[in-house]
Formats: sequence, C-alpha cells, structure tokens
Amino acid sequence: MSKDFEQQLRDALRPVEPEDGFEQRVMARITSEQTRARSKVTRWVSVALAASVVFAAILGTHEWQVRREQEGLEARKQLIEALRLTGEKLDVAYQAVNREPQPPPDNESGA
Amino acid sequence: MTMNALFRHSIPAIFAVLSLSAGVASAADGQLKLPNFDSLTDKASESVTITLDSALLGLAARFLDPTKPEDAAAREAIQGIKGIYVRSYKFDQDFAYPKSDVEMVRKQLIGPGWQRLVEVRSRKEQQNVDIYILVEQERANGLAIIASQPREFTIVNIVGSIDMRKLHELEGQFGIPKLELEQKDGPKK
Repeated sequence: MSKDFEQQLRDALRPVEPEDGFEQRVMARITSEQTRARSKVTRWVSVALAASVVFAAILGTHEWQVRREQEGLEARKQLIEALRLTGEKLDVAYQAVNREPQPPPDNESGA
Repeated sequence: MTMNALFRHSIPAIFAVLSLSAGVASAADGQLKLPNFDSLTDKASESVTITLDSALLGLAARFLDPTKPEDAAAREAIQGIKGIYVRSYKFDQDFAYPKSDVEMVRKQLIGPGWQRLVEVRSRKEQQNVDIYILVEQERANGLAIIASQPREFTIVNIVGSIDMRKLHELEGQFGIPKLELEQKDGPKK
C-alpha cells in the first residue's frame, strides 16, 4: 500500500519537460499583465489629471469672478466718491458765485 | 545738401513736430498730467486718490444698481465720460502741500481749448476754486476743478463728453445743489 503510494507520489512529482513555447507564453502573459496594469494606472492618472484641470479651471474662474466683483465694487465706490467730491467743489463755486456782489453798471465809466 | 545731411537735419524737426502733436493730442483729449502726489499721502491727514479710466468706469457702471436713485444718476452722469481722476488731500497744518504742483496743473489749463468757467477767490476763507472746461466743436470734452485752501486741495479732472444737462440732473445727488445753469445765461426774472 505504502509502496503504491510512494510510486504514485514519485510519478506525480517527476520532472516534466514543458511544452514548446511555454516560456514565451509565460513571458507574453507577464508582459500583457504588466501592460494592462500600467494602462489602468495611466487611465486613472489621466482621469485624475483631467479632474484636476477642470477643478482648477472652476476654481480659477470663481476666483476671477470674486476678484472682478471686488474690483467692480471698489470702482463703483470710487466713482460715487469722485462724483461726491466733484459735487462738493461745484457747490463751493456755486455758493461763492452767488455770494459775490454784482458791481453796479455805472462803475464802468470810472475805469 | 546730401541725403544723409537732409536726414540729419530732418530727424530732430520730425521729433519736434511729433512731440508737439503728442502734447496737443494730450491736451485735446482733456486728460491732465497730474503730478505724483505719493509723498503727500504720508503728510496728509486725509487723502483721496481716484483714477478711473474708461475700462474701470465701464466696470463700475456694471455694479451700479439702477433701482437706487444715486446709482441711476451716476450711470447717467458717466455716459460719454472716458475717465475721472481725483486727487484730494487734507492736512493738519497750513500749506503743507507744494503750491508748485497745483500751479503745474493750472498751467496745463492755459492750453488751447480750455476755458475758465468759474474763478472763485475768497480772501476771507482763503479759498480758491477754478473750474475749467475743454470746449471742442461747441461741446464740453473735459472738465477740471482746482480747489485749494490752506489745509486742503482738490484736483478733479473729468475726461470725455460732458453733458452739463446731466450734471444739472445730479441735483440732490452726492450733495450737488441746484445749479440753475440755464437760468444763469438767460435774463433773470
């Protein structure tokens, strides 16, 4: 019984010569697995890059809009201030002109 | 005269004509060359520096709320205006600002096209106000206000087509009183 078992074991573990092209097939399989893994990584990197670009574009546009709005509000503030100052100085001139006594027309002959 | 000599003599003349026409163009568009008042900002107790070119005016106009009377009046007032430049300084001491800088601006207003509309000299309040307009083809294409007191001075330069009627319509806005511009020219009742 044990002799049979030993024989069976020996038969099972005997060295077997690989078929022709076995090495090439194994190497081809390894290469194709690596390529597949690499292309998967590349795809993920591409997706991540594209997402980053889109995110950066959205963020950039948002920041540009915020900055533009700040600039616009500041420009509006400056415009109102400029018109206020212009009005103030026109007011000074207007009041001064209205205050000035008009010379009588008869005085012209004395010049 | 050789060709080289001709060029040698012509080039300075061409530059002179170009610089002269550049000066005329600068005066013609109503924009004054305002001195650099940066050094006064530290000395002044209050300072206002406003530089609004046509791009910034356009941007400001987009942020004016037409439902607000003040904003609506401002939008009307800036139509046709290409730039607004204001320099205003207040000091704690008398004449802390160089009068020469103010005079330099005033000298530019002697140029062609500029007309003095109002000259106020108040000895009591030591207040001077000059209002000039740049008249081109019977239209006001520029406005300059130089107002000075011992402790403050203000220069306002508005560039572009100024509609005095619209200025008149600013009455009650921004503290501008009723100017009664039309009545001044006509006979008083």
